[in-house]
Amino acid sequence: MKSYADIVGDGGSNVLDQVLSQRAAIADALAGVRHVLAVGSGKGGVGKSTLTMALARALAGRGRRVAILDADFNGPTQAHMAGLEDTPWVPGEGGRLALPRLEGGGTDGEGGRLGVVSLGSLLARAEELSFDTVSHGEQHTWRSTREFAMLGQLLSTVEWGDLDHLLFDLPPGAERTVQYAQFFAGALGEGRVSFVMVTLPSGLSHGVVARSLTALAAIGAPALGYVENMAGYLCRDCGEVKPLFPEAEQGLDAPCLGRVPFDPELAALCDAGWPVDGDAGSEAGGAAVAAVEAVADNLGQVMPPAEPPPPTPEADQPLETEP
Amino acid sequence: MKFLCVECDEPMKLHETRAPDDSGSLAVRFGCPSCGRDIAMLTNPWETEVVSSLGVKIGPSGEPEQAASKCPFSGVVQEMEAERAAPAAPGAPTAPSGPQWTAEALARLEGIPEFVRPMARQGIEHYASSNGHAVVDEKILDEARARFGM
Repeated sequence: MKSYADIVGDGGSNVLDQVLSQRAAIADALAGVRHVLAVGSGKGGVGKSTLTMALARALAGRGRRVAILDADFNGPTQAHMAGLEDTPWVPGEGGRLALPRLEGGGTDGEGGRLGVVSLGSLLARAEELSFDTVSHGEQHTWRSTREFAMLGQLLSTVEWGDLDHLLFDLPPGAERTVQYAQFFAGALGEGRVSFVMVTLPSGLSHGVVARSLTALAAIGAPALGYVENMAGYLCRDCGEVKPLFPEAEQGLDAPCLGRVPFDPELAALCDAGWPVDGDAGSEAGGAAVAAVEAVADNLGQVMPPAEPPPPTPEADQPLETEP
Repeated sequence: MKFLCVECDEPMKLHETRAPDDSGSLAVRFGCPSCGRDIAMLTNPWETEVVSSLGVKIGPSGEPEQAASKCPFSGVVQEMEAERAAPAAPGAPTAPSGPQWTAEALARLEGIPEFVRPMARQGIEHYASSNGHAVVDEKILDEARARFGM
């Protein structure tokens, strides 16, 4: 009797080819993206989305072409911070969607260009993202798989074009960070993806991020380092930074790229999409700008070199020699 | 998954797929090319979900989709489509109809994946109406793309 391996192909649906086609479509859509930076966290609410937007604006301010994919599908905030909640998704060319653009994307409003893809542009703020399932009552079982299927569809659907940086605002959770690292490895290969983590200064938050860093290292996913947010608060009365949390006794096993104190005024600015300029106006603002610039500087070191432009027809011509 | 006709020692051919019924069961019919015997594989909802969540189509290649796959936005999309298709209640004021689409613009809309189509349609129609256009044509799509796209 024949065995499984004796029969060429699969049961007739070519599932394997379909999966490979999905991957090829993602790779094709992202072919012009030089580098992907995934911004993750152990716990939610630590300022990961804010850092992502701030970093994107800083990079755009340096003249780079940047886009954000808000991969926190259940808690999308990037559309709100970018002011794109009511921006339509427009059919572009070749069955893809135009990448929604943030006006004046750079910190100086005149830098490179910044695109933002966030489900917050499609779903009302209080609307949940539901996944229809045939196994009634078992949505939780398949949720992660379906989210990654949606991620793949989104990636292959948008006209990303030529980007210097595609920033992923990841959903919180150590295991999600690793799942994304594995997804990137399959979809993009090595050398184009880095991670940066955001944490609170507490030992508890450090512990979860430490777990993420260990897991990333185990699968060879490079982490640039981490940013510590809410590292104390700026007392408006005495002007000193005082502790907010019982701080971790030691740092994490990765470079600390910045420590940003909490400041209600800075928080309000960040919620409005990081309109913080270089003069940030306070110690907290200055620290935030410094942290973002540190991440941006580190990115410059891991960026793969830009593809050389194709030779112009003139360059292909043999040099004319004197008669 | 492959099926073998043990009697003939021949791999069976996938003939037909029936989309999941209310119980979530997917029916896939296979036949032996040698003896003609047919069998059907009937999945339970969890097995259906395994293939569905991968976003792949189950069925003979080259045939229209009869897939187990459902779009990830399906809940939202179905709601939006239902709203569009719902007839006005008797006596209720008739809702103003949205802009008309030219065939070319509609073809471009239908070129994008199904899971974002209703949202894109709604957004463009809102943009067209807000700007006083009664018809969505390719010029409007290009205009919106230039305005909102990168």
